[in-house]
Amino acid sequence: MELLTDEEIAGQQPYAYWLDGVKGLGNGKKQKLLSHFQRPEEICLAEKEVLSPFLTGEQIQALKEEKRRVEEYYELSGKGICFYPFYHPCYPQRLREIPDKPFGLYVKGELPKEEERSLAIVGARNCSEYGRYLAEAFGGELGAKGVQIISGFAKGVDGLAQAAALEAGGSSFGVLGCGVDVCYPASHAGLYEQILENGGLLSPYPPGTPPLSFHFPPRNRIISGLADAVLVIEAREKSGTLITVDMALEQGREVYVVPGRVTDRLSDGCNRLLQQGAGVALSPAQLFAELEESLWRDKKSYPLKAGKAGGVEAPGQDAPKGKEEALLALLEITPLSLDEIRLKMKENKRLRDISLPDTLELLLKLVLKGCVRQVGSCYARVGKAGEYGHR
Amino acid sequence: MFSSMYAGGIAGMEAYPVRVEVDISRGLPGFELVGSLDREVKEGKERVQIALKNAGLSLPVAKITVNLSPADIRKEGTGYDLAIAAGLLACMGRIDPQSLQDTAFLGEMALDGEVSRVNGVLPIALALRKEGIRNLVVPAQNAAEGEGVSGIAVIGIKNMEEFLIYLQAGKEERRTLFPGKKAGGGKGKEASHAFPDFADVYGQESARRAAEVAAAGFHHLLLTGPPGAGKTMIAGRMPGILPPLTQQERTEVASIYSVAGKLGGKETLSERRPFVAPHHTVSPQGLAGGGRIPRPGMLSLAHRGILFLDEMPEFAAETLEVLRQPMEEKVVRIVRSRGSYCYPADFMLVGAMNPCPCGYYPDRNRCSCSETQVKRYLSRISGPILDRIDMVAQAAPIQLKDLHKRERGESSADMAKRVSEARRRQKIRFQGSPYHFNGELSGRDTERYCELGREERRFLEQVFEAGEMSLRAYHKVIKLARTIADLDGEERIGLRHLSEAVYYNSGRKQLWKGE
Repeated sequence: MELLTDEEIAGQQPYAYWLDGVKGLGNGKKQKLLSHFQRPEEICLAEKEVLSPFLTGEQIQALKEEKRRVEEYYELSGKGICFYPFYHPCYPQRLREIPDKPFGLYVKGELPKEEERSLAIVGARNCSEYGRYLAEAFGGELGAKGVQIISGFAKGVDGLAQAAALEAGGSSFGVLGCGVDVCYPASHAGLYEQILENGGLLSPYPPGTPPLSFHFPPRNRIISGLADAVLVIEAREKSGTLITVDMALEQGREVYVVPGRVTDRLSDGCNRLLQQGAGVALSPAQLFAELEESLWRDKKSYPLKAGKAGGVEAPGQDAPKGKEEALLALLEITPLSLDEIRLKMKENKRLRDISLPDTLELLLKLVLKGCVRQVGSCYARVGKAGEYGHR
Repeated sequence: MFSSMYAGGIAGMEAYPVRVEVDISRGLPGFELVGSLDREVKEGKERVQIALKNAGLSLPVAKITVNLSPADIRKEGTGYDLAIAAGLLACMGRIDPQSLQDTAFLGEMALDGEVSRVNGVLPIALALRKEGIRNLVVPAQNAAEGEGVSGIAVIGIKNMEEFLIYLQAGKEERRTLFPGKKAGGGKGKEASHAFPDFADVYGQESARRAAEVAAAGFHHLLLTGPPGAGKTMIAGRMPGILPPLTQQERTEVASIYSVAGKLGGKETLSERRPFVAPHHTVSPQGLAGGGRIPRPGMLSLAHRGILFLDEMPEFAAETLEVLRQPMEEKVVRIVRSRGSYCYPADFMLVGAMNPCPCGYYPDRNRCSCSETQVKRYLSRISGPILDRIDMVAQAAPIQLKDLHKRERGESSADMAKRVSEARRRQKIRFQGSPYHFNGELSGRDTERYCELGREERRFLEQVFEAGEMSLRAYHKVIKLARTIADLDGEERIGLRHLSEAVYYNSGRKQLWKGE
């Protein structure tokens, strides 16, 4: 396709928007048509006979019936949505390189910055507490280091990592399986607002598209495509996350995986990837250092935003002492039920004789000090930034 | 000839005396029963007539009128047969009505003269006693109900033959032939060993403790946990640690069972607290009571005891909603076209439920329910019901190896001792107030009866600021802490009491607020 000037591109936008919305035409077909006709406008105005060598009768029919959408383009800006076809200068460079790149991209908020680091964090929707913790730790810490966190805006790992990145003062971008004006899942209404302030929402689907199940796998290639590398936190075998990984490998992206216990079904997919030779992510710091070494050598260092050091809250000033400290040492990152804690205490010399009510008092005090997190009737230690794995 | 005999009727839980007036006079032969009667009462005419005939006592060919007074209360049930028969015999000159002035009759008559059981003997006996009745003749099967009542002799008869012997005997003769049940005697069996023992529950330290706290303060409890963790086991053992019924409570409970027709046989008046566990397919009417002739439902049968709802989310939503008003007002009100009925229903709710449809959430190795599925499952217990539940405790999953390792738990007797001590403290605290237990306290009175020190107040503020407790839960937590302190034998509510109370509250918070 010959190079169009910026003015020409701007002039063609309504027609590009129209072409994107034509149903019954695949991504590849649209791009092929365009490479022949050069301008979307010409496709729009072309006679049936001219189109017939390229399209079937039904496809031409679909093209002709689609006309009214041209004017709708001007309504997009009112909704704060931008549309970029693949030849548009704003179309993400990273995405341009991937096979089967989407014809057009709808964007609410911003696009990921080309010169900045970007990492996709993906994982299970029904994540465990372990996955929740990791998603928040990686999302938060890397977000604070200026890494743009790309993910699928889904429940579980995706949303948690994105929320943590935003919380830590970083930026994040969600790739949706519905129109960018649709908040799905609805429970992410808060995150939807937040992400528009420090990042953006992207979708290959026109505004108003409902979240249908077959929309989601195709958007996975955009998640990996927008990122320099993909980090997997908790995935079952045969899961959508692994589709993203396949796409990433096809696109030549690095894949990193956080290992899990071999007995956890939610870690099966992760451990399988490790077996197949994926990179190992042991801590946010280690992953960052490794990527800095390999992929991000040329990126300029990012000035840390003041105030928000890590993704995880720092514990309060008065550190736990004595029995509190001993009890804290028994707790784990994953929540333990009160009975499990009590059983562990019975095996500990210092804590053996503490009664149940006293245990609860100690635990609640630790919760108030910010050292322990209460998850319903269970208790978990609050992890400190960089406390595990290689530093 | 005219005569009148006493009987008794029941409207809801209220018993009232009924005068059965019989008149036999010349006129067009016939037998008329009047006095606002239901069908089954009117049919008594045939039963009595034929039973008398089969005993060789044919009714005279005359105009017979029977009136049940007060005539403006709708009467139902088959308990009036005996009184009608006695009235007829008196009019026929077969017996001397003079000697029966302080005697009432209650019972259904079969055609062959057998006397069969009726409902509500106990409350009727109590009501008749107030009217000055000293003897109550009832079917032999109902005689046990009179055991605990003093001041009125309850005499059981089996059939027409005995009935006639009783009626025709002199006053002295009656006393020797039909001594009746001894008044005031008949203590119930020991309370605790009738129930399974907590010693059989392995591990489950926190859930057992929750059961103990709930029992001590009459707090409504919800147990969650995976299948097989022992939720049902724990609930089933709770009546064993509750203190025995007091005399007053025994009469209340026995009256309800009497009206429901469930007294007699094994279920005599006892000190055991009721433990009612309806299946989750129970209808709202089954739970609340009702029917054409209203009868107490499961909620009333659990009065002063435990209502255990196993698999709580499996109950139909409308069935659970029935719990709302009784849990607030401690009575069930049923309104029918002929009037409203009021059944006591002061029960302790113990619920049990799985945390998700498959039961294993949050163990992600076994549970693959989505967050939405889990939420939807939990939301089957509506906010208003949840609001009335004071504590949520988790029964932890048990592994087989733990079963071998763990030592036997504390016995019910030891737990019961602490519970009754805590109850004693509450009794002293609530002297001269309408309350019996901490769990019943209203919001304003919570602050009056459960004082907090400055340090404790500050502590609760911190907990609230840390988001570990909602404002709504504030009084609940304090009430719970009061009970825990009572169990501890402490006059002052301390930090650990508050901490434990917060723990029971946070289980609730987790289940219904997403986290």
